[in-house]
Amino acid sequence: MHALEVKNLTKRFNSLTAVDNASFEVPEGSIFGLIGRNGAGKTTTIRMMMGIYLPDDGEVVLRGVKVGQEFKNKVGYLPEERGLYKKMKVIETLQYFAELKGKSGREIHKKANEYLKRFDLYDRRLSKVEDLSKGNQQKLQFITTILHDPDFIILDEPFAGLDPVNTNLLKDIILEMKERGKVIIFSTHLMDFAEKLCDHLAMIDHGKIILKGSLSEIKARHAQKNVSLTYNGDISFLKNHPIVEKIENFGNTTGIRLRESNQAQELLKLLVEKEVNVKKFNANDISLQEIFIELAGTDGVNTEAHHV
Amino acid sequence: MFNKRVIAVFKREVRERIISKGFILMTILLPLFMFGIIGIQMLLMSEGTTKFNIDVAAESEELGARIEKELRTSDLMKEGNYHFQFYTMSKEEFKEFLNKKKQELLDEKITGVIYIPVTALKDKKIEYYSKTPKNMQLSQRLERFVNKVLIDQYFSNRELTPDELEFARQGIDFTGFKVTKEAGFEEEGYGSLVLSYLFTFLLYISLLMMGQMIMQSVIEEKSSRIVEVILSSVNARELMAGKILGSAVTGLLQMAIWLTPVVMIVSTAWFVLPADVMFQVSTLQIVFYLVNFFLGLLVFLGLFATVGAIFDNPQDAQSGLWPVMMLVLIPFFIAMSMIQNPNSDIAKIAAFIPFANIIVMPARMTILEVPMWQLIVSLGISLATLFAIFPLAGKIYRVGILRTGKKPKWSEVVKWVKYKF
Repeated sequence: MHALEVKNLTKRFNSLTAVDNASFEVPEGSIFGLIGRNGAGKTTTIRMMMGIYLPDDGEVVLRGVKVGQEFKNKVGYLPEERGLYKKMKVIETLQYFAELKGKSGREIHKKANEYLKRFDLYDRRLSKVEDLSKGNQQKLQFITTILHDPDFIILDEPFAGLDPVNTNLLKDIILEMKERGKVIIFSTHLMDFAEKLCDHLAMIDHGKIILKGSLSEIKARHAQKNVSLTYNGDISFLKNHPIVEKIENFGNTTGIRLRESNQAQELLKLLVEKEVNVKKFNANDISLQEIFIELAGTDGVNTEAHHV
Repeated sequence: MFNKRVIAVFKREVRERIISKGFILMTILLPLFMFGIIGIQMLLMSEGTTKFNIDVAAESEELGARIEKELRTSDLMKEGNYHFQFYTMSKEEFKEFLNKKKQELLDEKITGVIYIPVTALKDKKIEYYSKTPKNMQLSQRLERFVNKVLIDQYFSNRELTPDELEFARQGIDFTGFKVTKEAGFEEEGYGSLVLSYLFTFLLYISLLMMGQMIMQSVIEEKSSRIVEVILSSVNARELMAGKILGSAVTGLLQMAIWLTPVVMIVSTAWFVLPADVMFQVSTLQIVFYLVNFFLGLLVFLGLFATVGAIFDNPQDAQSGLWPVMMLVLIPFFIAMSMIQNPNSDIAKIAAFIPFANIIVMPARMTILEVPMWQLIVSLGISLATLFAIFPLAGKIYRVGILRTGKKPKWSEVVKWVKYKF
């Protein structure tokens, strides 16, 4: 059962087609990653899913019904560029955003205080937002996203601009929400993150979905000819070797693509013969980064190393 | 349309406006300021304690004696603010006299020198020398005495009764009677002018102030990206409606506070205005004024909010505001000029032109007797304007609030209207 289905979404801005006939499915209870480089169409797709933009074509279906206000009430949304009313007090901010979702009263107030306590903001609840540090403002924004207990959490580039403490905090929130059966959808250009967090994904490039499915399935499909290697020594002899199609250095690990899927044993033998000190040899492994490069080419791919 | 979300936006807007310093200051200070201005004008008109030293020179003895007698027995002397010196001299002597007195005139030890030549008996022309010869107040007050002397002298060797002389001496007194349908004729001073200045001025100030405030607020939401979070909960139309209604209701509240002293002046004896500027205001006028104001606020707040949505910083927005400013300023000046000339054709037409009617009609209503149907038509025009501009304004708003970066050209804004957003 799909919680959310995106069907043939298309959005054009003047002559630019930002999203081109995009379709993907978000399963119940999953952490879904929408992956692509900057400007690939992630934000536009998400905005159309949220009803912030009207699509030129296509639709978004929530459990069999076209999305509308009901979906908006069930979503907690954290946009890439975050903002709050500077002059509002912390507690007022929380109440206001919950009220926009149709939730108000004692219950929400109590819950807001619980979250504030948990995130170490309780003693600041009567401060104005502008008097909070940037990190605390980010925390406050997380709370506004989840306070109304949404079924869906949509995060656009959630880790951009977060300090390590808040990065961890947000990761915890995401995992906790998953445990409670919520659907989490996030977009990122950081493959590393996506690989560690999501279980389903769609890759978007130049507005088109170039890959979709569950992470393990996708990896299995693309991994057969791949070996990831950690070693000490000299492997330059592999460069023009007949069984090797391509070598790529990712810093800590090296990705090796073989010509045939049954040549992994041969490669290991070769490395041992040449007295390369093999620390880790992982056949049938491939990173999302490699898959992405394979599908979309190398231009402009973000290779920043980020760790969750 | 008016669901929980709109109400939430509405409440926040009202709260934010009412607790803002600018709003509180304006609400309290503006009436004080207005009454201050009126007070200062009254003070200036009642000329205060200024002393006038005036030399009066006549060419003939007889004329001199008569003018001296007239002025010495006048109420001016009793007030004690006027001090006269009397001389008799020929034209040549007067020239010398004037040269001697020049320094004193420049130092304002002497306010002025009046010379009454014999020829004045034919052409009533007298000369007045002063550092500030255009002092209307002085000439107005002295005129009737000099006139009386000249007339007395002129007719003295003809056979007229004192009554006949009295008649000849009198100026004409225009007493204004306002013609109204209901209560026959009412004697009227400048009251209705004062009221119409007041109405026009308050309307103008409030439209601009509330307009600026909502524009700033839209820009804040846009530039701080709050709007995207909000739009994940409400749609752009709900957001715009909530904001505008919140602002408009706050504006209405402020206007009610401002009008309270006006109503009190009319209905109680707490403040006493001089009869000349005392005005009447009917309940109908107040009701029309407030309804018209509320509709006007909705229309103009819509425009200001739209301009705010087009730009992402206050500077660009200010410079892009001119079309809206024209819609406020031009009717404002028409209303002001109409107060000088209530029957001007421009004002008559402007009272029924969309946008302009909002500002011109209240002023017109206070000066002239405007038939009920015209008031209703004017409100109808405002409503029609509202329904005509909101689909467009809403479209531009919806596209605009998510746009940042390059300052858009007007041609692009026109294209937004066609976008499917």
